[in-house]
Amino acid sequence: MTTDRGVSVQAHGVIALTASACTSCMICVRECPSWCIELESHDEEVSEPGARRPRTVSVLDAFTIDFGLCMYCGICVDLCPFDALAWQPDFDYASGSAAGLVQGISELESWQRGPGASTAISDS
Amino acid sequence: MGLPPLWVSNRKEVFPTSAAPGNTLVPVTAISPGARAYQVAAEPSLRVQILDLGLACCALEVGSAIATGLLVEIEGSVESGELAEVAEGTSQGVGTTILLISGTITDALAPAVLRAWEQLPEPKAAVSFGACANTGGPYWDAPTVTKGIDQVVPVRVYVPGCPPRPEALIAGLLKVRDEIVVA
Repeated sequence: MTTDRGVSVQAHGVIALTASACTSCMICVRECPSWCIELESHDEEVSEPGARRPRTVSVLDAFTIDFGLCMYCGICVDLCPFDALAWQPDFDYASGSAAGLVQGISELESWQRGPGASTAISDS
Repeated sequence: MGLPPLWVSNRKEVFPTSAAPGNTLVPVTAISPGARAYQVAAEPSLRVQILDLGLACCALEVGSAIATGLLVEIEGSVESGELAEVAEGTSQGVGTTILLISGTITDALAPAVLRAWEQLPEPKAAVSFGACANTGGPYWDAPTVTKGIDQVVPVRVYVPGCPPRPEALIAGLLKVRDEIVVA
């Protein structure tokens, strides 16, 4: 299977983030050999009716991958316990500046495939 | 189709096995056999001159782009400046030579890259291809590695990847075209 850009759908082109699945566990940040991932979060207490005490949950504030540094090894994708990171075959994000290769939550989420995704997939 | 001659010649000359003892600079003539003219297969109107500095493994992807026909080498004189994008009747950017820097740049090699850039005739644009050329990549904390070739030459377009796909090279060239012609 290839995308309409002619590369395999399994190509390691870019790493997409599903922010809602991220628990801010920091495994990807710590295990990245290039140290290209940065993550910021804060804790919030969630009270539920009937619970004995409030739960503490981490809320993701910022998540950036510097694709200028990334060595595309996929360790973050493999180690993420909640599949918040995934490979996508997109390659067309060259930038006019090195800082432009640093992608935040909104850009990383935009790589996700789904209904209406810009890159169609064919069986050719 | 065998390996493209550009790739072979670069590899042999950039990494001499016996020459260059210690920190002796590799002569710039050894890493710049000369710009060559290429045609982008997907956009035949885009013809560019490329001086390919293949300094590490990313050079394989440049070679792959040529070997798979994404980039087609064409006959032409580099000096004439007649080979370039001619878009919508504008002459902007015509004759632009692209310095394609792919691979790890060490501090010992950086001056040679700078001289290759300085010797390139105007108009010219530098393209940084791959993580090492962009930022130093996985070697960003190595004391002998230049943390991005943009510390040495002004880079027009940064192509991400480790290595970038051959298709990403084409996308990067199109971005150079867009920046130069539109800008």
